[in-house]
Amino acid sequence: MIGGATQVRDTTGLAAALEAVLFTLNRAVTVLELQDILQSPLPDIEAAAASLAEALTGRGLFLQRHQDQLQLVTDPAQADVVRRVLRPEYPSRLSPAAYETLAIIAYRQPLTRARIEEIRGVNCEAVLESLEEKGLITETGRLDAPGTPRLFGTTMKFLQILGLRSLDELPPLPQSASTSS
Amino acid sequence: MSREIAAELERDPVYVVRTPAFDGPIELLLTLAQRAEVDLKAVSLASLTDEYLRAIEQEAPPLDRLAAFLVIGARLVQIKAAGLMPQAAVGEEEDLQAWEDAIKGRLEEYKRFKELAESLMRRHASGRFTFAGLLEPEVIPQARVQVSLDALATAFRQVLDRLPPPEQVTVEMEHVSLADKLEELRQMLVRQAQMNFSAIFRHARTRLEAVVTFLALLELIRIGEARVAQASAFGEITVHGQERKTAE
Repeated sequence: MIGGATQVRDTTGLAAALEAVLFTLNRAVTVLELQDILQSPLPDIEAAAASLAEALTGRGLFLQRHQDQLQLVTDPAQADVVRRVLRPEYPSRLSPAAYETLAIIAYRQPLTRARIEEIRGVNCEAVLESLEEKGLITETGRLDAPGTPRLFGTTMKFLQILGLRSLDELPPLPQSASTSS
Repeated sequence: MSREIAAELERDPVYVVRTPAFDGPIELLLTLAQRAEVDLKAVSLASLTDEYLRAIEQEAPPLDRLAAFLVIGARLVQIKAAGLMPQAAVGEEEDLQAWEDAIKGRLEEYKRFKELAESLMRRHASGRFTFAGLLEPEVIPQARVQVSLDALATAFRQVLDRLPPPEQVTVEMEHVSLADKLEELRQMLVRQAQMNFSAIFRHARTRLEAVVTFLALLELIRIGEARVAQASAFGEITVHGQERKTAE
């Protein structure tokens, strides 16, 4: 799969190719797919992604990353102008329960509904259903335990409604209260 | 020692239990139950709570007393349930501490996520979204794209719109036979197994001819000699010739 052509392209060239691919596909693309499309090994893809993200600094576009997925999107700073032309249907306000559940999933993913309910102390079936319907969370797998419960994780859309480059940009988890007064 | 505890508790008990099996402060009941010095199976927790509910209806105790009753009551239920289970060990007093710590830890964890939830909400409310391009192909998964009758009709409409307006057509008796068109289409699909929908009408000179060509295409699809496909939403519809599955 990986031919001699790999060495020919340097990181800048590969970043340009990556940009072209993300632009035309216009969806979240996994790094696995990109290895195939760009005929390059994973470390080169990662280097190209970093280079592209760097090159896009201060531009209207933004390289978004959700775990192993990459997508070219508009910069959050351009949200107003884009909204004027696009009139997108994005979920507006969510309920406090929804934000709580999203926060728990975002920081603890992947995790089961039981674990979420343990933290929130209430039944979360309806709120999970609604978040899944809005495309903000998704089933990422099944836990290898009795009943193989579903595991939940956030999605690219979750990053999009918060204008985050990646999950790393989430605000840091506050220290536990037992360490502070 | 239990007498000391009892003496202290009796000064200000959370609730005084009066049942045939146990008579005294509920705190003492818990302490004794934890040491297995009282048989909880003989104490009806349901009637105990019923009586408690009746009691607080008459005189509402302060919130912390209510909470204390809930904690003790929950622990009693836990011990009783554990006693009914064949293998579950009844927790000791240290267990109660561990249990309290776990609850406290959970509440702290919840508090942290509640704070985070607020910061997520503020971020979301700021409206600084990122947007993907206008048409996301994943909106309509390719596997699910099927050509609907409407899409076919719309495509045909576009073909008609490209034809010269009808008033330019000299009105004369036209003979376009469906059988001829059918055969013509078959030949086209033999020469070229896959063609664009619009290409089928390339030779149509009049509205009538285009209509008959369209009817012929529908007939070919019906008898299974052709099928139509669309690779993406709003994409070009392609016509594929195929062998008829069963000879008629």
